Amino acid sequence: MLEITDLTVRIADEEKEILRGINLTVPKGEVHAIMGPNGSGKSTLAYAIAGRDGYEVTGGDILWNGQSLLDMEPDERAAAGVFLGFQYPLEIPGVATMTFLRSALNALKKKRGMPELTTPEFLKLIRAKAAELGIKDEMLKRPLNVGFSGGEKKRMEVLQMSMLDPQLCVLDETDSGLDIDAIRIVAEGANRMRGPDRAMLVITHYQRLLDYIVPDKVHVLSGGRIVKTGGKELAHELEKSGYAEFTGKAA
Amino acid sequence: MSVVATRTEAEEQLARQFAKVAPELPGGAWVPAARLAAMRAFGDAGLPHRRIEEWKYTDLRIRLKAAHERAGCSQRKVDAGLLREALGEELASLACIRLVLVNGRYVSSSVPVGHEPGESWKFDSLAAVLGRPNFAWIRHSFETADEADGAAVRHLNSAFVSDGIVLTVSEGAKPALPIHIVSIIDADKPVAVTTRNIVRVGAGAKVTVIESHIGVSVSKNERQVTALTEFSVGDGAEAHHIQLVAGGADVVHLGQWDVSLAATAAYRGFQLTAGIGLARNESHVSFTGPDAKLDLSGLMLGRGRDHIDTTLVVNHTTTGCEGRELFKAVLDDRARAVFQGKVIVAPEAQKTDGKQMAQALMLSEDAEFDSKPELEIYADDVACGHGSTAAELDADMLFYLRSRGIPLADARAMLIESFAADALDKIENEELREAARAITVGWLGVAA
Ligand SMILES: Nc1ncnc2c1ncn2[C@@H]1O[C@H](COP(=O)(O)OP(=O)(O)OP(=O)(O)O)[C@@H](O)[C@H]1O
Ligand SMILES: [Mg+2]
Repeated sequence: MLEITDLTVRIADEEKEILRGINLTVPKGEVHAIMGPNGSGKSTLAYAIAGRDGYEVTGGDILWNGQSLLDMEPDERAAAGVFLGFQYPLEIPGVATMTFLRSALNALKKKRGMPELTTPEFLKLIRAKAAELGIKDEMLKRPLNVGFSGGEKKRMEVLQMSMLDPQLCVLDETDSGLDIDAIRIVAEGANRMRGPDRAMLVITHYQRLLDYIVPDKVHVLSGGRIVKTGGKELAHELEKSGYAEFTGKAA
Repeated sequence: MSVVATRTEAEEQLARQFAKVAPELPGGAWVPAARLAAMRAFGDAGLPHRRIEEWKYTDLRIRLKAAHERAGCSQRKVDAGLLREALGEELASLACIRLVLVNGRYVSSSVPVGHEPGESWKFDSLAAVLGRPNFAWIRHSFETADEADGAAVRHLNSAFVSDGIVLTVSEGAKPALPIHIVSIIDADKPVAVTTRNIVRVGAGAKVTVIESHIGVSVSKNERQVTALTEFSVGDGAEAHHIQLVAGGADVVHLGQWDVSLAATAAYRGFQLTAGIGLARNESHVSFTGPDAKLDLSGLMLGRGRDHIDTTLVVNHTTTGCEGRELFKAVLDDRARAVFQGKVIVAPEAQKTDGKQMAQALMLSEDAEFDSKPELEIYADDVACGHGSTAAELDADMLFYLRSRGIPLADARAMLIESFAADALDKIENEELREAARAITVGWLGVAA
């Protein structure tokens, strides 16, 4: 279970707090969606969970399975099961996608006390997962994300997620930049990972994604706070009415 | 010529050593006089220092504290064990023709069956042919006339050179295997070694030549090497030339490459300098015919107080030649890399196409990168450019990798390797490229 309590986060060198007291609980087995206006702090929350430098937690806590993530390095959080699908995945020139995935997978296995995969095992796994997501072999041979289109990068994020087998998946606008078919493919990828042992936090601007990944709850984040929580129908309401109600309230 | 008032300790030692060893150095006929003239020229100018523009960042008067004694013979047999120890697993197992110098003397070759010297290629030990009438052409390589003040390395090399390989690749010949000139130094105390290789690639030939300068035992970390390579590429020939230098904080490597390219020749040079306390690699490239292609690159890896200097003088004197230079440095602690890239385009060298890039990855705030590109363009119809950058590891990329579970040290190593990759990728021979990568990764591993 993910339990975020009274979380306040400041971005290094900035005066004001971006997150101003977030309270959020995502039990295992559930998918929660976060929606909200641009600049409301959605990515900031995602980064705080993953442990990005410069996102300073000034108050509150983030507990995962009862254990605080705050003192853990990003790679330790990954070992504890946290995965962040980036809104803007980075291009890493000179690092082959395969090498990267294999290093990541083996590093996690090692930290989790599991045996590393042999080369044939690894290849078999990645080929199967890549095929599910419509990722061509040729893409896997390129340096990580280099020259990938926006949509290809997002598919690669989902491939990484399904390879690394996390228990807490935070997807930050994984749907943006995807064509209509790709949204479905990626959503199916995410849905395959739904299960009683996993919690998912899906950040999105569009109700369309939530037609595929049907959330248990929808939260509206505005001005660094969660201002409304509802069921999946909340996404449809927002689609119609927009955020005026909340931005007025939050200002 | 500047007159140096007081000699440094190292200069004194070099003068005394020369007096002592000169009678034993190889070469009859004109050779002793040429050595003496070179030593005089060195003595007149002394070690180069920062007031000489080309040596501005690498003051040998200050940095070269003492000159080690000349290396004696090594007792060790050149066998697989020694090669593995000196070169590492990857480089030792490289499929190649191997010509081995130990302590500056040619000792043995290992040539796979079917690749023997003959019509296609041949080699001699420089010591064996120096001063012989049928090798009179070598004399020009020892002439000291009109050399500028900065020519100390050449002078010292001419004065002290004990051996080297004279390699000839015949016209149109394409030896299938790389020719690897291995210079191993093995001594139980710090020693100095001076070698010169002369490579001539005939018209239309194609060859890969590797020079590695590696020490074992005490010499791994403490040796002084002066290594000069003359490399000429004939009309339409293609040559790949790779130098690998690895060592430790107390190694001094003073290297010089003199490369000349004939019409439509293609030459690709690469220099890896890994963890050398004081290294200076000076390359002079001249074009003797039109439409030749030069691609010169290198990777400098420094930590501690390593000081690695790459100095290029590329002289475009004829039309339509292409020059590509890419040098990268990875610098930790208080290490310092110097890149001086002078490109001269003479008035008659129209249609010259030159691009130069120098990039440093700074792993520590105390590291230093001095980059001095110099374009002297006297022709009007040319395309020349240069760039230079110094950057730290990208924090966002590090976070991305770590968020996938990759520990900090591994994530750093990945990004450093990725920075080095496009320099290493210049090495065309895959096995060799992997060997160079292994040296790089090995060097990185020491840091972790
Ligand atoms: N590194 C930074 N330096 C300064 N301000 C920042 C930084 N990162 C984020 N911010 C600011 O913090 C606020 C929240 O940003 P965040 O990226 O969390 O918004 P978001 O809800 O994800 O928006 P979007 O929907 O556009 O992705 C914004 O006002 C943004 O400008
Ligand atoms: Mg965002």
